[in-house]
Amino acid sequence: MAGKSGRTISATPEKALRKAVLSWEGMLLVLFVVVNIFCKCISPVYTFTNVLREMPKYLTEIFLLFPMAYILLMGEIDISVGSIVCLAATISCIAGNAGVPFIGVLAIGLLTGTVCGMINGLLTVKFRELPTMIITLGTQIVFRGIAEIVLGDGGSISLSNADGFRAIAGKIGPFPYMFFIVLLCAVIFTVIAEKRVFGRGLYAIGSNSRTAFYSGIRVNRMLFTAYTVMGLMAGVSALFLTSATYGANTTTGKGFEMDAIAMAVFGGISTAGGKGKLIGGIISAFIIVCLRVGLGQINMNPQVILIILGALLICAVLLPNIVQSINMRKASKAKA
Amino acid sequence: MSDYVLELKGITKIFPGVKALNNVQFQLKPGEVHALMGENGAGKSTFIKVITGVHKAESGEMYLFGKKVDFKGPRDAQQAGIAAVYQHPTSYPDLTVTENIFMNHEIKKNGIIQWKQMNEEAQGYLDQLDADFRCTMEMGALSVAQQQMVEIAKAISTHAKIVILDEPTAALTANESQKLYKIVDKLRESGVSIIFISHRFEDMYRLASRVTVFRDSQYIGTYDVNGITNSELIKHMVGREISDLFPKPDVKPGEEVIRIEGFSRTGYFKNVNLSVKAGEIVGLTGLVGAGRTEVMESVCGITKPDAGKVYLYGKEITIKNPSDAMNNGIILLPEDRQKTGLILSWGLGRNVTLPIVGKLSKNGFTDEKRERELSRDLLEDVDTKAGSIFVPASALSGGNQQKVVVAKALAQDNMKVIIMDEPTKGVDVGAKAEIYQIMGNLAKEGFAIIMISSEMPEILGMCDRVCVMCNGRITGELSRREATQELILELAMEKGPDKKKQEVVK
Amino acid sequence: MEKKSLWKKITGSREASLVIVLVVLCIVVTIKSPAFMSVQNIMEILKNNAVIMIMSLGMLCVLLIGGIDISITSTLAFAGMTIGMMYKYSVIGSTFLGFVIATAMGAVCGFIIGLIIAYGKVMPIIATMGFMYIYRGLAYLVAQDQWAGADALGSFKDFALNNTLGFGVLNNVIVVAVVCYIIFFVILKWTKFGRSIYAVGSNAEAAEISGINVAAIKTAVYTIMGTLAGLSGALATSVYASAQPNMQTSKEMDVIAACVIGGVSMNGGRGSVAGALLGALVLSVIAKALPLVGINAIAQNTVKGVIIVVVIVLNVLTQRMMDKANLEKREM
Repeated sequence: MAGKSGRTISATPEKALRKAVLSWEGMLLVLFVVVNIFCKCISPVYTFTNVLREMPKYLTEIFLLFPMAYILLMGEIDISVGSIVCLAATISCIAGNAGVPFIGVLAIGLLTGTVCGMINGLLTVKFRELPTMIITLGTQIVFRGIAEIVLGDGGSISLSNADGFRAIAGKIGPFPYMFFIVLLCAVIFTVIAEKRVFGRGLYAIGSNSRTAFYSGIRVNRMLFTAYTVMGLMAGVSALFLTSATYGANTTTGKGFEMDAIAMAVFGGISTAGGKGKLIGGIISAFIIVCLRVGLGQINMNPQVILIILGALLICAVLLPNIVQSINMRKASKAKA
Repeated sequence: MSDYVLELKGITKIFPGVKALNNVQFQLKPGEVHALMGENGAGKSTFIKVITGVHKAESGEMYLFGKKVDFKGPRDAQQAGIAAVYQHPTSYPDLTVTENIFMNHEIKKNGIIQWKQMNEEAQGYLDQLDADFRCTMEMGALSVAQQQMVEIAKAISTHAKIVILDEPTAALTANESQKLYKIVDKLRESGVSIIFISHRFEDMYRLASRVTVFRDSQYIGTYDVNGITNSELIKHMVGREISDLFPKPDVKPGEEVIRIEGFSRTGYFKNVNLSVKAGEIVGLTGLVGAGRTEVMESVCGITKPDAGKVYLYGKEITIKNPSDAMNNGIILLPEDRQKTGLILSWGLGRNVTLPIVGKLSKNGFTDEKRERELSRDLLEDVDTKAGSIFVPASALSGGNQQKVVVAKALAQDNMKVIIMDEPTKGVDVGAKAEIYQIMGNLAKEGFAIIMISSEMPEILGMCDRVCVMCNGRITGELSRREATQELILELAMEKGPDKKKQEVVK
Repeated sequence: MEKKSLWKKITGSREASLVIVLVVLCIVVTIKSPAFMSVQNIMEILKNNAVIMIMSLGMLCVLLIGGIDISITSTLAFAGMTIGMMYKYSVIGSTFLGFVIATAMGAVCGFIIGLIIAYGKVMPIIATMGFMYIYRGLAYLVAQDQWAGADALGSFKDFALNNTLGFGVLNNVIVVAVVCYIIFFVILKWTKFGRSIYAVGSNAEAAEISGINVAAIKTAVYTIMGTLAGLSGALATSVYASAQPNMQTSKEMDVIAACVIGGVSMNGGRGSVAGALLGALVLSVIAKALPLVGINAIAQNTVKGVIIVVVIVLNVLTQRMMDKANLEKREM
């Protein structure tokens, strides 16, 4: 049966290219180029190989960005990941020192992270009345607390045999292994968010979780999955972090959760859920990495870098709001 | 001195992209109840907000007691003696009734709020309205009817000369409405002029002496209630005549499709049994809060019942979550389109295909092209008024949103049972007829249909069978032939809730 | 009948049940270690936790309007570090002036945050996260790789040692906290401004319609939060007799936790001054009590975290039980 009034509805999407250029992600890409030119200008040693060499210490946080983006897209938050990184790093160092073969150490690190993530997921799903901000505030303190107990009075541990970890910190040509793994994760997570049914569910839950539930989406199952993956990736991050520091202490991973959230938000992902794209988060992560490397090379005070990053973050959210309100004011004036 | 308490001339209000009011006028006589009617989106609510100073009109003049006024904000209107009771009570659920009544005109001494005095006065207003709750209760713990009473008490407390009631009966049961009528009478007798917005004709006939009609943001006319017929009024509101509002097809019911047995959930419903045949439309009615929606949500796996079995074509099935229900072909069209029916920020197309993304996918990858085509076809089938499937659902009117919800249900091609919860709530007269048409067609195609509704005309007009619920139980079942308004009301109020309340008080 | 209603009052009110928890906690600890109940020990607890207690008041207001502020300890460090350096380089000498400067700085810091949240429509968590970086960075910049120790602070650190404001009985720091609590109790319960805070958190849209300037209230609340953080910066510098740029890092979570334990809702509109106080007290008593009952200080954070999780989960469970009991009462 056709529309009885014969009315037709268009199903042709807008031209994708124009949309992409004008989007937030498009602007971020431009900013990425600008930042690189800027760094090149201020620092004579800002070369491709140098950037790649210094990158690893900033890359570990990017692992957290991907699942954090998922959680933010669903309108939730996880501020316990920094603590999970700490606990996973601590446990794997202890396992390593206890003579567990390296492959076992890796497994233990990932498992620790995953279990922590599952605990967050379980609490979130079983107590939907509670904001995830509070739940993960609680587990943030608990997970790091357990690491503190395990680490004992000294508050730190060093690997007695770091061979295995040294191996995963290796390189192919100028590229560290980690770089490829980050890229691989970026592709997998982006494809899932953009092209898979799971991704559609993420956006549905973040836009209106009640409607999503009424429409047959397994909201609880997806939340649990996302938090578990968050834990797993925190484990990955912890292992790569250990491969650079050969140890762990009570402050390992502190503030990682905020950095991951900042990257996602800078990339246009709203903490209110349902809005933004993973690719934006990834570009913004690399903008931040390049900026840190470049400013670090000219020995800029790390605290000044902190201030710059904070200001960038706020501007990134503030600017679109201001532009929008100016446009609205103009529109209503033009009509009148 | 003017004859009118309130007079508005040539009001035009523009929102980005739309003219919400176009050169409208309005006059309110002292001590009258004046109904304001029109379809959804006709501009009534915007007009009210102009009067109360929430919106500022681009052009036009407003006279209060013959004097020209220019409100800068809601505060000015309040001080001038205009009070509004909005459609959704604009209350503070976490605060007490007293605070809600005195919000922004608290009784203060040297800047210190006088709680004792405020509580006493608030209780006085509540007693005046025969309220059955205390002023120290939390607002969030009250029913919608009680919350509205608080809003009215608030209007009295500000000594308002003009009270605006914006669809006050929309969420009320029949006897709660009666109580409201009495309160409105009392207000009018005390010399207050009242503007009354409602979709219900019975409200207008019972209360108003004059009625003003808006259509498409424009003023159509003002009429004496006694001098205008129902169909004339509808014609003014819709702009055309509606010949047959209830196109109930003559379908011979086939075999039994769904049967539910012994559905119980503590505090919501008890031992509910119901069966629906193919091609049959079964109405589920009763007062708001009788447990109708709750039963059906349990059937669809949204909440977990304590006991109960569902049979599909005589075979028992288990439903643990909404997707189980959908996989079995039981589709719910929820009551609240904005909160549970649609994702307002999404385009129409994605809304339609949301429940079936998985089915349309290839190995878990979404098939966007197929989704677009399917959703376009379905949206055209139900005759949605929209330019493209990418228009966000929030941009549509209530009636068109409901059509999108229907399209979303139709997208599930294994559908056998369709449960429509208040399908015409907040839908204007024109779109209502179209939705009934769709419902009739679905029955013809052999679907089993359950319609939950509080509106007597559509229950009587569309259903083959009516089941009436009261206090969580089905109190009676009437065939199309037997069903009358009186019988249904009687069943709906069996062991009347009011009587029980009195017992509790004693 | 009356007994039942009393029992209901106790179980129904978060504050009353917290008082019971607190009393039980104190009794248990005192049995294990009688020294706990000494006046001196209690004063010590209050003095060392005054900063958290004071900031809990601001956080209460922020949470009441449905916001959050994770920048407070950065503001604290920025303000505290600034006056620390001022004393170190003898820019100022007077204790009073130090407090004024720190508090004023906090007010400005909070005001900026408030403007961005209320008028720039930035989500509170994001805005305060940005300023968490910025103010902490500024604290480091002010410090210039130095810190202000006891010698540098001179007479300023004596403020936390003396009882002058407390008529020789109460420590100055405790007096400041008590005064803050009295002021906030009065404001939130008995003034229009205080009730507007509740109104905005309970239903911002309705508040706007009834003529409350929501954006102004929001700005004011973040300014208050900043002011208290600035004041706490001065207090912390005095109590610990040192100003360092990494002062009180991540203690904002303790402040939020205190409010949450005290029954303040993170969705806005619900919470009380008494709740914030009791939440902060429970946390500080536990921290002090652990070593006394033989639990290693290392386990302190774990215990604290577990308590937070248990309290919020218990809260949900009791709510569910109450709902269920109410439903069962419904006659059908």
